[in-house]
Amino acid sequence: MTLEGYERIVGAPLVPGSIVIPLAERDELASVLGRPAPAGETELHPLHAYIAMQRGIGSSIADLCAFADFDIDDGPLMGSLQVDIHQPLHAEVEYRVEGEVVDLVRKSGKRMTFDLFTYRERLIAPDGTDAATATNSFVLPRKEQE
Amino acid sequence: MSDYAVGDALPELHIASVSAEAMKVMAVILDDPNIIHLDAEAVKALGLGDRVINQGPSNSGYVMNMLLDAFPGGRITSFGARFLSNVLGGDAVTASGRVDGMERSDGGTLVHCTAWLTVDPDRRALEATATVLIPS
Repeated sequence: MTLEGYERIVGAPLVPGSIVIPLAERDELASVLGRPAPAGETELHPLHAYIAMQRGIGSSIADLCAFADFDIDDGPLMGSLQVDIHQPLHAEVEYRVEGEVVDLVRKSGKRMTFDLFTYRERLIAPDGTDAATATNSFVLPRKEQE
Repeated sequence: MSDYAVGDALPELHIASVSAEAMKVMAVILDDPNIIHLDAEAVKALGLGDRVINQGPSNSGYVMNMLLDAFPGGRITSFGARFLSNVLGGDAVTASGRVDGMERSDGGTLVHCTAWLTVDPDRRALEATATVLIPS
């Protein structure tokens, strides 16, 4: 159930954007994850589907937090991600990114109260087809019961 | 078809020490300035531990790499993860998984897997479901 007072953000569009992943970044990610990228190919690591949407959307993580009136400096944590990759993704290709807010729900655990902010994104290939789609959530810890 | 049968465990992927320096590179890749990945003192101040916290996508990436190693030539078409606990700088982690099902598709065989990332000794950082397409 949507947190009271935040019904207005459900379905709110994120700022659309676009992204081109440089080939060099494919190799940087491979280094971070400890597995070399195949030489001589432009195909991206599947994690780049998430990254391309996260970075290509015109709304920053701070902007996403702002939907929930949460300051990024208060330490948002990833709650979940679901990425579906409909076609191989490639470096040096421009993808458009669109998305919207799905929901904001309050949860109370043993250790803390937090809000779960869920949003959806689409990575759109140059031919207009969905290259990948994602539904992700951030855990927004609340310092005290509100 | 896959070399595995339903119920088979997949070869594990071990990472001896999660790098705090790699978190800085990942922060740039993600365009994520969240201080919990960069500053241990900030993590302490937030009451979230005493070391920098690895990015959730990186934890997912380790599990994806375990799957890619298990299925050479395969392509991950779906990956869903729930983040259960934090991985901190210096932690040792192990990505594990098993085959839950297989089905034919137009492009080959779809292998459905459950996977997880464990922080030594027994704490799970994430649980995931994934589908890998093995081209025919």
